[in-house]
Amino acid sequence: MVAVLLIVVPLGLAFAMPLFNFVSKHIAGYIPIAAMLCNLILSILLLPSVMENPQIVVLGGLSPPLGIHLVAGPLGVGLSGLISLVGLAVSIYAWGYIKQGAQDKYHALYLLLLSGATGAVLTGDLFNLFVFYEILCISSYALVAYLGDRNGVESAVKYLIQGSVGSGLILVGIAILYGMFGTLNMAQIAIHIKDVDSPAIFLALVFLVTGFGVEAAVFPLNAWLPDAHSTAPSSISAILSGIAIKVGIYAVARVLFTIFGVAAVFQYVLLLGLVTLLVGEICAFSQDNIKRMLAYSSVGQVGLIVFAICIATPDGVGAGLFQLVSHALSKAVLFLGVGYLVACSGSMSLSSLNGIGKRMPVVCFACVVAAFSLVGLPPFAGFAGKFLIIRAALAGKGIFFTVLIGIVLLATVVEGAYFFRMVQTLYFKDAKKQIEFKKTPASASIPILALVVLIVALGVYPDVLLPYLKSAAADLLNKAGYIKEVLG
Amino acid sequence: MIVGLYTMLTKKNLIKVIIGLSLFETGIHLLLVVVGYIQGATAPIFSKTTGSSAEMVDPTPQALVLTAIVIGVAILALALSLAIRLHEYYGTLNLRKIRELKW
Amino acid sequence: MRIVISCALLIILSLGLVFALEQAPLGSNHIDKKDKPGRYYLDQGMEKTGAANVVTSVVVTYRGFDTLGEVTILFIAAIGLGAVLYSRKKEKRDQKEKPSASLILQTGCRFLFPLIVLFGTYVFIHGHLSPGGGFQGGVIIASAFLLLFLGCKEKKIPMKSMNAVESLAGIIFVGIGLAGLYWGGSFLENFLPRGMPHMLLSGGVIPIIYIAIGFKVGAELAGIVAGLIERNP
Repeated sequence: MVAVLLIVVPLGLAFAMPLFNFVSKHIAGYIPIAAMLCNLILSILLLPSVMENPQIVVLGGLSPPLGIHLVAGPLGVGLSGLISLVGLAVSIYAWGYIKQGAQDKYHALYLLLLSGATGAVLTGDLFNLFVFYEILCISSYALVAYLGDRNGVESAVKYLIQGSVGSGLILVGIAILYGMFGTLNMAQIAIHIKDVDSPAIFLALVFLVTGFGVEAAVFPLNAWLPDAHSTAPSSISAILSGIAIKVGIYAVARVLFTIFGVAAVFQYVLLLGLVTLLVGEICAFSQDNIKRMLAYSSVGQVGLIVFAICIATPDGVGAGLFQLVSHALSKAVLFLGVGYLVACSGSMSLSSLNGIGKRMPVVCFACVVAAFSLVGLPPFAGFAGKFLIIRAALAGKGIFFTVLIGIVLLATVVEGAYFFRMVQTLYFKDAKKQIEFKKTPASASIPILALVVLIVALGVYPDVLLPYLKSAAADLLNKAGYIKEVLG
Repeated sequence: MIVGLYTMLTKKNLIKVIIGLSLFETGIHLLLVVVGYIQGATAPIFSKTTGSSAEMVDPTPQALVLTAIVIGVAILALALSLAIRLHEYYGTLNLRKIRELKW
Repeated sequence: MRIVISCALLIILSLGLVFALEQAPLGSNHIDKKDKPGRYYLDQGMEKTGAANVVTSVVVTYRGFDTLGEVTILFIAAIGLGAVLYSRKKEKRDQKEKPSASLILQTGCRFLFPLIVLFGTYVFIHGHLSPGGGFQGGVIIASAFLLLFLGCKEKKIPMKSMNAVESLAGIIFVGIGLAGLYWGGSFLENFLPRGMPHMLLSGGVIPIIYIAIGFKVGAELAGIVAGLIERNP
């Protein structure tokens, strides 16, 4: 029952936002903070009780498979906790950062994006997943164009068109699946999929994975990402890279594992993940615009996470989920920090940030920590993530996996190269012109520092998360268990 | 649906691309409705003249299409507002010219 | 070159689609088994929910959560439009005199506007008895407002009250869902008495939800149209 509140409370507050705006113009910034705080507390309280037995929340008074239901399992509640954590940090940052435009609309859209993300990870019904995924996507189309400048609007149009084609393809996949099985409940489709053995199922899978893959930004479908993430306002870039992509990966994983569960397909998606990783890292290396560099790095990391999840062993999936968490935290810190640096120096080119490290020590230190964590240096969370991935991949048999691990390590080296270049620019180059130095307001530094503390804590004590990861991985992989939980 | 995709891929004017998007989505909605069709059955509304529930089409795809049409309208509204903004900035809606964001 | 590649891609896509759809049982009675939701909705729909229109009972009760999401998406579109088209300098766009519409058009619009609003209201109040419902009725009302814009240009649409109506309707929907949670045990459960089928006051919460949706959609689409025409969200 509590799981419904996780989705409905932010939704209701967002609907009420215009009414709040009539009362007072300044109250709008506080509402997402309150909503996300509420969600975070609820998720943390809910998590221990769903570790073993996922709660099935029935909606509309009909038990599955006849109605829609929410599956509050360890994966769903854990991801919603991550969403509310990152959402809380970015909303505190945005409270001080968003000062132009129609502010109440920004906060309402932001809250709706987060409730769409939470709904998508908690639902157990395929069409409901599509609807919440659309809530997420459409709010992000509007938010990318929020600042109203030329680049933002152009990238929002490209993102919108590609995203809409993707959602159209998802609908085609859903239509084919409904035509064959007569139900939209994911568990029920999973049961019946063994009975029908026809290539149409494979086509439905292709459509669904392609459609969800547009948001997850796997290789051929990620053309929108560098533009959208680099021209959006920085708090939105943080949310897009941190949360929206992850929900796309979750949707792909849920469709692949729980509904289809066909072993042969995993190899192809794994290869796609690897190609995405390489493309992302190589393109990031050649960028001068710092936000575009970070956006391509997100593409690379998505490839790494997809690669890890498609190893399809409990260790592999657990490692992929750990990397997902660590990337969400680090990329959020990077985008938030870089947002303030760019606001101070006025341009997004890397060379304009020469030597800024001495003037804004807090923010630059946070960015450096997050960058090291992404590369995978030891006392930070990213190291644990990559170590777990490599260990899980080594357990796979044969030369094939060793070659893949080699490619992963090569990509890590490239990543290290451009992040070190960033660190070098921040600290070791001399400033070319006098940059107007604004003191970082508390609303920016508190969330950044809080997330940095979490990154370090996760890096030093990765075992804190491991039991949750194991049950979340089991949730994803154990198809029979999922069906039994839902249908009894 | 294929006509919509073709329009989106080949036309240069943004408004034509948006119209192509609308055609694409309409095609998909029709596909969804067709999935629920049962030969010889009638609309799923009870009244004094209809027969039993055994001769009705599947109501679920119709509910799905209702939702999908609304989603399509929302995307179109947003796309058109973005087109208005783009026209203000660039003076043209020719997609070949709106390419400031390079590689 | 572009045309060649896109044609090739589209041919592959259409072949795949045709192949997939050939396998799917279209036109046959695919919901004959008892555990399929479609059969359940048709057989039990009228007794359990009291609505004569089975599609309505599916949309509002059985898959009510999807409807909540759909209403949210329309809300996002209206707000997103407002955010994108926001301009701080409220330029007086109608500085140059727009040619006002001809007398026939003006009189016709003024005459038709209340009739269309009435028709739209009829459609969404009777959503559970005949084809139609909240979304359809809302769209009809919004088209009445569009007519007003095109025909009688001097009347202005009160944007503030549209926004207020929109939010109130949304809150009512979520509130009914939460009330269902409190009184019925699950979110969006139908907790009011069912009434006699084919009567106006049947169907439990269905008419209330549809009225709220009708107002919300009408206000939203009118707001979207106003935003696109006037650039003043």
